[in-house]
Amino acid sequence: MEAFLHQVIGGLATGGIYASVALALVMIHQATHLLNFAQGEMAMFSTYIAWALINAGVPYWAAFFLTIAFAFVLGLAIQHFVMRNIRTTSVLQLVIVFIGLLVIFNSVAGWIFTYTIKVFPSPFPKGALWGQKYLSPHELGAICVTLVVLTLLWAFFRFTSLGLAMRAAAQNPGSSRLVGIRVAWMLALGWGLAAAVGAVAGMMVAPIVYLDPNMMAGILLYAFAAALIGGIDSPGGAVLGGFLVGVLENVLGAYVVGNELKLGVALVLIIGVLLVKPSGLFGSVQVTRV
Amino acid sequence: MSAPLLDVVDLHAGYGLTRVLHGISFSMEEGSITTLLGANGAGKTTTLRALCAMIRPQGEVRFRGERVDARATEDIVRLGIGHVPEGRGTFVHLSTEENLRLGAYVRKDRAEVEKDFDRIYAYFPRLAERRRQQAGTLSGGEQQMLAVSRALMLRPRLLLLDEPSFGLAPLIVRELFEILRTINQKERVSILLVEQNAAMALDLADRAYLIETGRVVLSGSATDVKNNDAVRASYLGY
Repeated sequence: MEAFLHQVIGGLATGGIYASVALALVMIHQATHLLNFAQGEMAMFSTYIAWALINAGVPYWAAFFLTIAFAFVLGLAIQHFVMRNIRTTSVLQLVIVFIGLLVIFNSVAGWIFTYTIKVFPSPFPKGALWGQKYLSPHELGAICVTLVVLTLLWAFFRFTSLGLAMRAAAQNPGSSRLVGIRVAWMLALGWGLAAAVGAVAGMMVAPIVYLDPNMMAGILLYAFAAALIGGIDSPGGAVLGGFLVGVLENVLGAYVVGNELKLGVALVLIIGVLLVKPSGLFGSVQVTRV
Repeated sequence: MSAPLLDVVDLHAGYGLTRVLHGISFSMEEGSITTLLGANGAGKTTTLRALCAMIRPQGEVRFRGERVDARATEDIVRLGIGHVPEGRGTFVHLSTEENLRLGAYVRKDRAEVEKDFDRIYAYFPRLAERRRQQAGTLSGGEQQMLAVSRALMLRPRLLLLDEPSFGLAPLIVRELFEILRTINQKERVSILLVEQNAAMALDLADRAYLIETGRVVLSGSATDVKNNDAVRASYLGY
């Protein structure tokens, strides 16, 4: 029983990471109706920036926020200089662009920082937390950071007029222009925010999985599963899906499929959801009156 | 004499290789209601789209004396031109209230915006009842009212209306046109109205332009146009 609890709580910790990346995926999907396969690599690249800053002597939290700012600008730049100039509506061609970005970020990170695995520091204390061994301070900290990020994002989209404008621009670009919204900038802002959320996830997961150019490959798959379970158009669903996938992965890995086949859980989940309930748990089947 | 509110000279526009407008010219005075009449495909909607740069126009468009034909849609809106597009342009997944809030997106006078909600809800009480409802689930008439209200939330100087009567029951059309008249008279909002329902449009408007295959073929006061024999035969049906 104790071991089971350990698996569940550990799953929640990694689930928070999946939730963040899944949320970044959902944000880009809502704006563009596409899945950004490069989301994980962008997060990985940002994490390297944090690593470089910390190694240069910048205090952790300063590096943390500088990295978020860097990721935001990176996302903005990708939309502004790359995606905006791609004049194709073919989904297949766009997917190739995303995969191209994935490979570029992966290779550039390897080229600059080498493929040697690096230790990435945690801002949270080491040792046991309140004398229990289920949850390390870093895991608890990562969950808290994730929840703070999610709450801030939710409040931004729910209560600010900029957030409302971003939702409007994603849904109906034509009408948005007619009320004066600069749609291209809203899209760029969406990319920036998604990249920033991804960067936070990267910095929170790096102390657990260690930093290397391929660290996000598996995580992106879990995040895809999370986003699909929650419903690809539901930010709240993506978050819940993230925690669910984290727990499932751990529990099934420990008791059913074994550690080596853990990643298979994500793939089975993806296929299962698409077969049984393609709109996910919270994805809306939109109602429109004509 | 002051410059007209809107002055359009030799406007050309189209979609891809298809030219729809072949040199439309007209102007309208501040405070007036002007209507563009014409059959399906004459170029009425295209004219409104070209005015708002939803499609790129050639020719001259002046708003209050200033050239606007090279500007982006977002900037033209900021000058005070509200557009109720063909098909209403509802943000179907957002609530009624959020749709209205988006209408005031470019305004900085927050307190006045809040007051305008009450003003709009007084004109259209149905929208007040449905303020939390997803806009896509509103009836056609309600969505049309919402579209007009969204444009009014901009506090426009000029309101462009594209077929507001389309798909609505006659009673609702009459109600809507009454409100448009009130808005024009009480709030000095000038209105450029595109309509297929020529009889209703001519009752409301001061001036009218008749468009056929992308050109203005007749213009004059609404009364004169209404009494023109050709217009009566082709558009009014008596």
